[in-house]
Amino acid sequence: MMEKEPRLQVTLPGLTMKNPVMPASGCFAFGREYAELFDLSELGAVAIKGTTGEARFGNPTPRVAETSSGMLNAIGLQNPGAQAVRDEELPFLAGYDVPVLANVSGSTPEEYVEVVQTLTDAPNVGAFELNISCPNVKEGGIQFGTDPDAAAALTAAVKQVSTKPVYVKLSPNVTDVNAIALALAVEAAGADGLSLINTLLGMRIDAHTGKPILANEKGGLSGPAVKPVALRMIHDVRQVTNLPIIGMGGIQSAEDVIEFLFAGADAVAIGTANFTNPFVCPTIIRELPSWLDYLAMESVGDLRQQGVNI
Amino acid sequence: MKNEQMMVVENKTIAAKTHELTLSGPLVDAIDQPGTFLHVAVPGDDLVLRRPISIAAVDQDVGTCTIVYKEMGVGTGRLARSRAGDQLEMLGPLGEQGFPVEKPQVGEDVLLIGGGVGVPPLYYAACELVKRGVTVSVILGFQTAAAIFYEREFHELPGCDVRVMTDDGSNGHPGTVVDALNERPSPPDWLFSCGPRGMLRAIETHAAHPKTNGYVSLEERMGCGIGACFACVCETGDGSSYRKICREGPVFAFKEVVL
Repeated sequence: MMEKEPRLQVTLPGLTMKNPVMPASGCFAFGREYAELFDLSELGAVAIKGTTGEARFGNPTPRVAETSSGMLNAIGLQNPGAQAVRDEELPFLAGYDVPVLANVSGSTPEEYVEVVQTLTDAPNVGAFELNISCPNVKEGGIQFGTDPDAAAALTAAVKQVSTKPVYVKLSPNVTDVNAIALALAVEAAGADGLSLINTLLGMRIDAHTGKPILANEKGGLSGPAVKPVALRMIHDVRQVTNLPIIGMGGIQSAEDVIEFLFAGADAVAIGTANFTNPFVCPTIIRELPSWLDYLAMESVGDLRQQGVNI
Repeated sequence: MKNEQMMVVENKTIAAKTHELTLSGPLVDAIDQPGTFLHVAVPGDDLVLRRPISIAAVDQDVGTCTIVYKEMGVGTGRLARSRAGDQLEMLGPLGEQGFPVEKPQVGEDVLLIGGGVGVPPLYYAACELVKRGVTVSVILGFQTAAAIFYEREFHELPGCDVRVMTDDGSNGHPGTVVDALNERPSPPDWLFSCGPRGMLRAIETHAAHPKTNGYVSLEERMGCGIGACFACVCETGDGSSYRKICREGPVFAFKEVVL
């Protein structure tokens, strides 16, 4: 167990975090596997795997492909369904001193509402993260994430049934103007925070066969390759809203976290880097205080304040 | 499951683009089942995914293990350039279900079939079986003569019957491992196999005899290697559920999963 560092604490709607670091949804399942490697209570929060109304099997394999400084995935939201998450996965995570950010997906607005209704009273769910930007499913996901009116309507519908704060995870697969419009639309609809970015739609082709490597042909690009895009979008969205932002996209180190906080994020989520180094989250958390010392900052909140002003 | 820096003891080329890497470190203590694998971090910051490589041999007395891999691209190319004394980061041993080498009894007909870089975990399995006094027959399939490895190592195992097949007939017998399987007079009691998916599918079809206890080891592109990312799942044989190859495999009984 790491020592508590008051300088690292971050309080966001629904999420009282010991530090600003959480594993990103989809890269950590429900924590069971990583719990064999380190104490999950060390984390600021855990963003659980995207949960749908019913269990989903997801896409055919291959589902991942490596790219230059990144990876593509087309998992297709495989998950055991909201009731199983409520009954079997959340109780496991309740054994740790860590709040849960419950990532919610669906094919229809009704499905998002159903998932939130099923999970909203689970005691360790601190907040929801609406995945309106998954590029890997034919129905749902990204169609809500590119149309500000649809995103706002979905946010409003979920807010009606949720007893917990609601973050909306935005897509980078939109124009700059649309990204701002989406952020403002979901804020007006009652969103309590934003997560950005989701993966960038990408593709790889096997040079020996001429065929796409992913069975789904296209997938979501993540990893260090997308970091500049994520920083740009967080910076731009930060100029128009004071909503809390959970920043993500290619974070691999404590230095990357500092960049995201300067760009305007309040907390960060770490995805692909867990695959490169399964201990990346606790390692970064340990290294953050020396970065604060180096920058002569009292707390991570100071970095965020600095970020707003850039 | 441990994550640690292991020291390269030896790294040598054993066939065309095929390399054998011997490693030492405390992680070796945890290796006890053929079929399990290591998740190897490639040196350098630009490659974000580790490489799953099956374990070919373990020597608990000297504290080393051996992995064999084919040089396919930039990542495995970097591994191929590692030298004795280098440190490589490894997560492992991974996989909860390996080849059930404790089950075959002395006197039973045990057949191991390996294709290409599917051969190494079968060598580990053969060593464990032979240690228990069980003799094995081995069919090894390669594309061409230059790709052949471990033929001599299998021959050196007491009582081991080795048959090498090459697709182009440039060495051993011309044909596939399935051709060799079909020439056998009777179905084996035990059949363990590892290789390309198409080969495994053909073996499961041709060796589906009620007497035969068949097992296959699967390969798939992986993300985390520990069961968290759902990249390497496969459907169960009855279509009702799924298995994670990295976690619940990589070895499955015939018909347990859809090949």
